[in-house]
Amino acid sequence: MTQVIKTLSDRKNDYLKYESKEKLTWCGGCGNYGIQKALERAMVIENIKPQNAVFFFDIGCSGNGSDKIGDGEVTTFHGLHGRVISAAAAASITNPKMKVIAEAGDGATLSEGVNHLVHGVRSNYPMLFILHNNENYGLTTGQASATTRPGFKMNASPDGVTAQPMNACDFVMSLNPTFVARTFSGDVNHMTEVIQAGLKHNGFAFIEIMQLCPTYNKSTSATWFWDRFRNVRDLKGFNPQNFKMAREVAQDIDKEIAMGILYQDLESKNYLEHLPQRQGKKTTLVDEVSHVDIRPFLKKLA
Amino acid sequence: MKRIVLKVAGESGMGLLSVGQIVSRTLKHMGYYVHSDREYPSLIKGGHSNVQIDFSLKPIHSLSTEVDLVIALDRAGLLEYLDIVKPGGVLVHGYERHHLIKDLEERAKKRKIKLLYLPARHIAHELGGNELMINMVLLGLMWRVLGFDLKHIEAPIKKQFASKPKLLEIDLKCVRAGYEAKGLNIHEHKLPHPKTKPKTIMLDGNHALSLGAIQAGVRAYFAYPMSPSSSILMHLANYAHETGMVVKQAEDEITAVQMAVGSMFMGTRSLVGTSGGGFDLMTETVSLAGMIENPLVVVICQRPGPGTGLPTWTSQGDLNLAIHAGHGEYARMVIAASDPTSNYELIQHALNYAEEFQIPVVFLSEKVVAETQAMVEPFQHKKIPIKRGLVTKPAELQKLTKSDRFKLTPSGVSYRWVPGSAPSGYYANSDEHHEDGTLTEEAQPCHEMYEKRLRKLKAIEKAMPEPVVYGKPKGAKISFVGWGSSKGVMLDAIDALKEAGIDVNYLHYDYLWPLKTKRLEKFFQENKNVHILEGNYLGQLANLIEMHTNRRFTGRLLKWNGRPFFLEDVLNYVKKNS
Repeated sequence: MTQVIKTLSDRKNDYLKYESKEKLTWCGGCGNYGIQKALERAMVIENIKPQNAVFFFDIGCSGNGSDKIGDGEVTTFHGLHGRVISAAAAASITNPKMKVIAEAGDGATLSEGVNHLVHGVRSNYPMLFILHNNENYGLTTGQASATTRPGFKMNASPDGVTAQPMNACDFVMSLNPTFVARTFSGDVNHMTEVIQAGLKHNGFAFIEIMQLCPTYNKSTSATWFWDRFRNVRDLKGFNPQNFKMAREVAQDIDKEIAMGILYQDLESKNYLEHLPQRQGKKTTLVDEVSHVDIRPFLKKLA
Repeated sequence: MKRIVLKVAGESGMGLLSVGQIVSRTLKHMGYYVHSDREYPSLIKGGHSNVQIDFSLKPIHSLSTEVDLVIALDRAGLLEYLDIVKPGGVLVHGYERHHLIKDLEERAKKRKIKLLYLPARHIAHELGGNELMINMVLLGLMWRVLGFDLKHIEAPIKKQFASKPKLLEIDLKCVRAGYEAKGLNIHEHKLPHPKTKPKTIMLDGNHALSLGAIQAGVRAYFAYPMSPSSSILMHLANYAHETGMVVKQAEDEITAVQMAVGSMFMGTRSLVGTSGGGFDLMTETVSLAGMIENPLVVVICQRPGPGTGLPTWTSQGDLNLAIHAGHGEYARMVIAASDPTSNYELIQHALNYAEEFQIPVVFLSEKVVAETQAMVEPFQHKKIPIKRGLVTKPAELQKLTKSDRFKLTPSGVSYRWVPGSAPSGYYANSDEHHEDGTLTEEAQPCHEMYEKRLRKLKAIEKAMPEPVVYGKPKGAKISFVGWGSSKGVMLDAIDALKEAGIDVNYLHYDYLWPLKTKRLEKFFQENKNVHILEGNYLGQLANLIEMHTNRRFTGRLLKWNGRPFFLEDVLNYVKKNS
């Protein structure tokens, strides 16, 4: 950790470019403060300049960070609820020279736009996706989400939630992913490390951050998480290249919650690398906008 | 020579399309002008369908209902299509059980329609072929009826079946057998042959639109398959190895349009295509593009709704949708194509306008425009410049600050630059925002930013071309206003009615929204009997014009049964209203 602090100190000018003067609007104790810090740190440690990255934000509490990162040099896109993966996926294949990071909450990722997650993983777009999982709809004042635990009484569910909760990492593991990680908003160091790895992954990097929501989710407090936090590094014989093992450890989100890189395919080929028409191209789609001669095609229509 | 109208009818999967392609190609090579469309249900096999081919010595822009010659490949083709053959016309068929069609033969006799029968199935089998070669036998017979030399059609058949050399030999034998059939009382047509061969290409609207997109530097296409837009996806995917374009079949329409927005945001050119129902799913994102001032071009190939409607038929019912879709108020543009050339050219303009004004552009096509094979002059290279409205000069990029991106300007258009190309970034924020994109809910800045976005409407309207008059410049006996496929049928009607001594003119809108009214006002001043012609029930363009001007249409020629306007629809209407 001292190395992280030292690197940040050495690159403080870079770090400041990710800092914002804007007032943060999250509740006191919200997990988003830590997540935003960890993300900024990871960007600096991985030496990614603001001009070489674009951040895509969904709608919700996480999205309210969209204009609170950077101060002039950072570019962000704050779009529609549930759709962030699609917009970011296109960005990642349009300009693969830029690092594309997308963030969304559990409502967007597992309800409104769950199809985009499914196909984002399947397509293996070269991007990092961070799920802010606070197990409820915070910005609309505490309704149940797909990850709310059964029995909990939520806004608009006064009799308690009856549907079974989704396990985000287990769900993603069923889609043959190339990178799956889980971390906790209470641990900035752990998050930074996991995000760094996600930024370096060649393909769709899925990171679930189990996030505190002191306002609406009192059932899973910081203490609750710390009691269950199990760093995969400490698991006996654990190997993140072992898919079977990863599926197994991803399953428990009640008693012992595995945190860290659960799975990574080190040989991963991203979406663009699979396209025959993009093989050997040094330019990006952004560089290529100019008249393309169609006259050879017209000959076949004469 | 008046146009000759052919129809090939049968079950989907019986080889109608190959006959249609062979005949169209042959006629084109002989120097005729050809115009061809198909009618088919939303089924892959087993539904009844037909291919219609109109040809003439003069250019043709629409289909006629005066059918000269039908090839019926099956019993349904025989039963359903007899009544559409014009008196004196011919129906060629291979239906063996004559005792079952006695009344049909009576009906044909009464209307002076000649039924020509050949045991096509038997002939095909005898020559070593199968059921699927009935079409070749009857094609040969039809070719004989047309009075053309067999040699013309043999080369296109060879081309059509080049990948199946074994079957090709039998195919050729079948055609010859049909052509040389003995014992039939055939009155061969004596059609004048074209003296010159027009330098044209033959393609449909979706193919032309695809070529326009390629030409204009579109580097990514996103779509979810939906009739009748799906062939754009197919064409662009088939060209991708040569163009390097990323062609992505997305998981749904929302994804497709989001990807188009994300891709344009990053600074490339992208496109998305769908039909009305798919566009409904996209509308929230169209509204987003309006808010963050992101260029976006969405193609709607119209088919009749509501709901699933008639997936494989035509309509002009989505003009209101294009103009009004999406929550909130924002500047947009609506453009409509009417034929392959306008598809090729207007899609390039649509991309330019979307980027220059940083707005969503809705591009309307229709099944009949998207799928009709028409002959047009070869498309020109670099005729339409690429205009992107981007800041690209290094010195200017250096000076940009984040507040330049949504700066309040007199025209409403602010600086746009490719993310990463300048030291400055910015926030593209779906929430209401300040000039730099940071969120605001304060009254004054909200008021100003909202107004800035809508101020663009004026600038757009100013930049857009006026509608164009075809036919008699002024003082016509009867006049029409229309858009999209209305143009093709009006061009043919103007010609046909001129020969009958009736002066007609037509004001055509390529650019529909924001509505241009200057040329329209002049048109109403100079013509006293002005009607609308459009393929919907409400008269959507008529209503729009009547809402925005004090003009009223004398009458409305509308159609909403999934069929396009045929030449005779207009001729009959003119007879009653001029």
